[in-house]
Amino acid sequence: MKLNIEGLLVYFPYDYIYPEQYSYMLELKRTLDAKGHGVLEMPSGTGKTISLLSLIVAYQKAYPLEVTKLVYCSRTVPEIEKVVEELRKLMDYYAKQTGAKNDFLALALSSRKNLCIHPEVSSLRFGKEVDGKCHSLTASYIRAQHHSNPSQPVCQFYEQFDAVGRQVPIPPGIYNLDDLKDFGRRKGWCPYFLARYAILHANIVVYSYHYLLDPKIADLVSKELTKKSVVVFDEAHNIDNVCIDSMSVNITRRTLDRCQTNVETLQNTISRIKETDAAKLREEYRRLVEGLKEANVARETDMYLSNPVLPDEILQEAVPGSIRTAEHFVGFIKRFLEYLKARLRIHHVVQESAPQFLKDIYEKVCIDRKPLRFCAERLRSLLRTLEIADIADFSAITLISHFATLVSTYSKGFTIIIEPFEDRTPTIANPVLHFSCMDPSIAIKPVFGRFQSVIITSGTLSPLDIYPRILDFHPVTTASFTMTLARTCLCPLIVGRGNDQVAMTSKFETREDFAVIRNYGNLLLEMSAIVPDGIVAFFTSYIYMENIVASWYEQGILENIQRNKLIFIETQDAAETSMALEKYQEACENGRGAILLSVARGKVSEGIDFVHHFGRAVIMFGVPYVYTQSRILKARLEYLRDQFQIRENDFLTFDAMRHAAQCVGRAIRGKTDYGLMIFADKRYARADKRGKLPRWIQEHLTDGSLNLTIDETVQLAKHFLRQMAQPFRQEDQLGLSLLTLEQLQSEDMLQKIAQIAQQA
Amino acid sequence: MDDQGCPRCKTTKYRNPSLKLMVNVCGHTLCESCVEMLFVRGSGNCVQCNTPLRKSNFRVQLFEDPAIDKEVEIRKKVLKIYNKRELDFSTLKEYNDYLEQVEDIVFNLTNNIDVERTKQIMEQYQRDNKDIIQKNKAKLTREQEELEELLLQEQQDSEQKRLETLQEEQRQLQTKRKNKQALLDELESSRLPAAVLLAQHKDRAVQLETQIEKQKQNVKPANIFSTGIMMGQTVSFASVSRVEEVLYVYQPLCIDAYGPPVPELDQLGRLGYLNHVCTASPQDQAGGYTSGLACHRAIQDAFSGLFTL
Repeated sequence: MKLNIEGLLVYFPYDYIYPEQYSYMLELKRTLDAKGHGVLEMPSGTGKTISLLSLIVAYQKAYPLEVTKLVYCSRTVPEIEKVVEELRKLMDYYAKQTGAKNDFLALALSSRKNLCIHPEVSSLRFGKEVDGKCHSLTASYIRAQHHSNPSQPVCQFYEQFDAVGRQVPIPPGIYNLDDLKDFGRRKGWCPYFLARYAILHANIVVYSYHYLLDPKIADLVSKELTKKSVVVFDEAHNIDNVCIDSMSVNITRRTLDRCQTNVETLQNTISRIKETDAAKLREEYRRLVEGLKEANVARETDMYLSNPVLPDEILQEAVPGSIRTAEHFVGFIKRFLEYLKARLRIHHVVQESAPQFLKDIYEKVCIDRKPLRFCAERLRSLLRTLEIADIADFSAITLISHFATLVSTYSKGFTIIIEPFEDRTPTIANPVLHFSCMDPSIAIKPVFGRFQSVIITSGTLSPLDIYPRILDFHPVTTASFTMTLARTCLCPLIVGRGNDQVAMTSKFETREDFAVIRNYGNLLLEMSAIVPDGIVAFFTSYIYMENIVASWYEQGILENIQRNKLIFIETQDAAETSMALEKYQEACENGRGAILLSVARGKVSEGIDFVHHFGRAVIMFGVPYVYTQSRILKARLEYLRDQFQIRENDFLTFDAMRHAAQCVGRAIRGKTDYGLMIFADKRYARADKRGKLPRWIQEHLTDGSLNLTIDETVQLAKHFLRQMAQPFRQEDQLGLSLLTLEQLQSEDMLQKIAQIAQQA
Repeated sequence: MDDQGCPRCKTTKYRNPSLKLMVNVCGHTLCESCVEMLFVRGSGNCVQCNTPLRKSNFRVQLFEDPAIDKEVEIRKKVLKIYNKRELDFSTLKEYNDYLEQVEDIVFNLTNNIDVERTKQIMEQYQRDNKDIIQKNKAKLTREQEELEELLLQEQQDSEQKRLETLQEEQRQLQTKRKNKQALLDELESSRLPAAVLLAQHKDRAVQLETQIEKQKQNVKPANIFSTGIMMGQTVSFASVSRVEEVLYVYQPLCIDAYGPPVPELDQLGRLGYLNHVCTASPQDQAGGYTSGLACHRAIQDAFSGLFTL
């Protein structure tokens, strides 16, 4: 249908539209008009993706000069594929309606592992291996050697692409990963490099977060995207953790040992090259004396994404004299390495700030701050000069150099924690140096600073005001949308007590209590008797789950449950878990019904949807707080308190509740779906926890569903399930939660729609 | 680490965890007991390279690679002499060349290349730059200053934060207690029904909460003077090094208006332009306005751009 969103003609590829989609598009349009950033929360299963795509594409077509590109960031490869499929539907609809030929170029980008078509390279199993092998076939000096010595193997796909691929642009259309591979095979071009080149002039790019947030990759891939782009982060409820991970470095004893061998290899290569080809080193030296000009030229007039690892001033200055020649630099790295080794030889935990570290390093091994800053850049230059083919081998030394650059560049927002052993195994020496970023805004700052609009969206972003605070930006719109429903298809219940009136909670003091464990078991047992098909239960941690399940086994609860349903358990092993999932789905399919026991923050809680009969009930045992004793977390909480005035408890609760919401949200994946959401902990009934759930869950949480006992829960659940089991047709939805164009245009419907969005 | 040991008595860290390895200027290790035994007289030769050594120069080995210990030792010595700062050079390039030269010297000394010559160069340098070395001894490098400043600030900040939170907590506790007492008093003395009083109390409590929240958000510790100088920082009054440059010469601005020449301001009256302009009143002239100004501006406006390019 064709919609009119405040004067913008939007083609929407379906005959019906949800009211909240319309509302969502309104807010989105306002955000784009204001050229600002937005935070939008809309429940999963209400068509977030298609609303986003159809509005932004319409905007691009209407104002081609205002918005030139859409960069859509998602988390996993299947999600990326899903987005591309939606986009294809939209473009087909455009073609059918307007009759014009599609002139849009949209493509997905992923790692070499998913895109390579070279028969030998693509058969490798791990991403790192593929990258390394690819590099050893396509590096510039390898190709130069190939010219003089044709027996040197190169990748013919890349050669083909390099010869002709750049002149002939890829024809407009929608390309997912497989389409790119097909296209590559037909032409004999490398799809990976083709995609990387094509994103520069594509209208829509779909890729993973890391291509934009991880400074090491962003510099390679995304630095030439134009300023007039709209960036969308979908499923962004974990974006702060992604940012932090991309800036943090962990160094173990093994890293240092591998680094040691790297240094030795470097030394040998340098002395060999010195004998055979001294001119090369001289050439590099000459370039360094003049400053890193080549990088400089590329950075002209702030056209490129600035790299947080390397601040601008570094690229403008020449490398300091003390690490200019190759030998001096290797000596420098050696000293740094020995210093780190000495630091790791400790018996108690040390926590210090970056300035303290720098002071200490100057006193111990006379390393100044400035050469440390240039370490990453200098190493890259050296590796390029030495023509080392297998970069993958040098990951250890690269990591160390990144650490050196980061620690000397940022004096705030980072902390260094050296732990002599893991908390769980205090007798085994396993020293780790955590250089941990505490401020997610550092990694994401260039993105906000550079692009005209950044949209952060997900099904669970509540409370909305905390994201702008921890990411340090000013959104022009922050809105939360509820789900309009023809029938109340979700039923959140907070169970606080067992039938024996013992409070149910996973609080640390009482979590080992027999009564609590038994009550949890009874709850699951009762639910397994009344809920049809699949039940998913989430625990707060793997250890807790193991304890409880063992205890249930001893008490005979497990046996009773198995009379009703089969039980599957998620483990830390990915292969085992996917096996369990597969069997779980099989059991649900054939009507036997099953229970999946899994862990919040685990694989199941994040990426896997339990549509319809795969998840009729979700039970959340306890509040999924993070492990609060970890020093990294403590440092981060302190930082948040000092810098952003966010109280520790607020953040911990926020983090726990977003994971809880993410877990229970797995069951409802659309309006025809229905499911119970059972929060089994009395602490959920408190206003501070309840208030942090997403609005679309909170709305259905009445006073009558708080602090229930198990048999009350069973009564409510039975009632709910019986209601939901009645046939539900599309006509029932029409006019309420599903609208035709005429219905959408009626006056009172527009009024209702205005209430859907709640501005934070 | 465990496989490290004394090359002379072959004891290793694994067999004797309390083994202490020592290093002297030549960069070869010996364990503490061997040092005691060999250097009873206070001096002797290295077992491995025959360099004459003093017992007092033995240091505990800090790093796994004794060569690093040796290098750091040498480096510290060299840096005591080569202590020029970036400010002592006029360009960055010169400074970088200087740094490289220092690095060369350290490299040569640690790897025993041209030791004699390098030492001569060092002595020569020391003689040439006596006053600068003396002067710079007391000064920290700019980077170190920066670091010290950061550390100081960190300390101050954490101290201040601690105090603040302590005070804040106490204040909150007090107000809450006061509030409760007030409610009890009111319940005792007031004639209103208890439900109303309770509701009022609840309202007040909520208000208090929001107030506290608000306060929390706009707390910003002042640690910078209005001039932008950090509190507690010492400002150096040393004269700024003068930069010799050519003096600036003013060149009158020349604008091509693409029109006939505009008459000068003082010619306007004579040429009769002012006849048709309203004369300025005394009030206007008080501020320095003359009708000539407006007229001149208008003529400039009218004349510019009359000729085509």
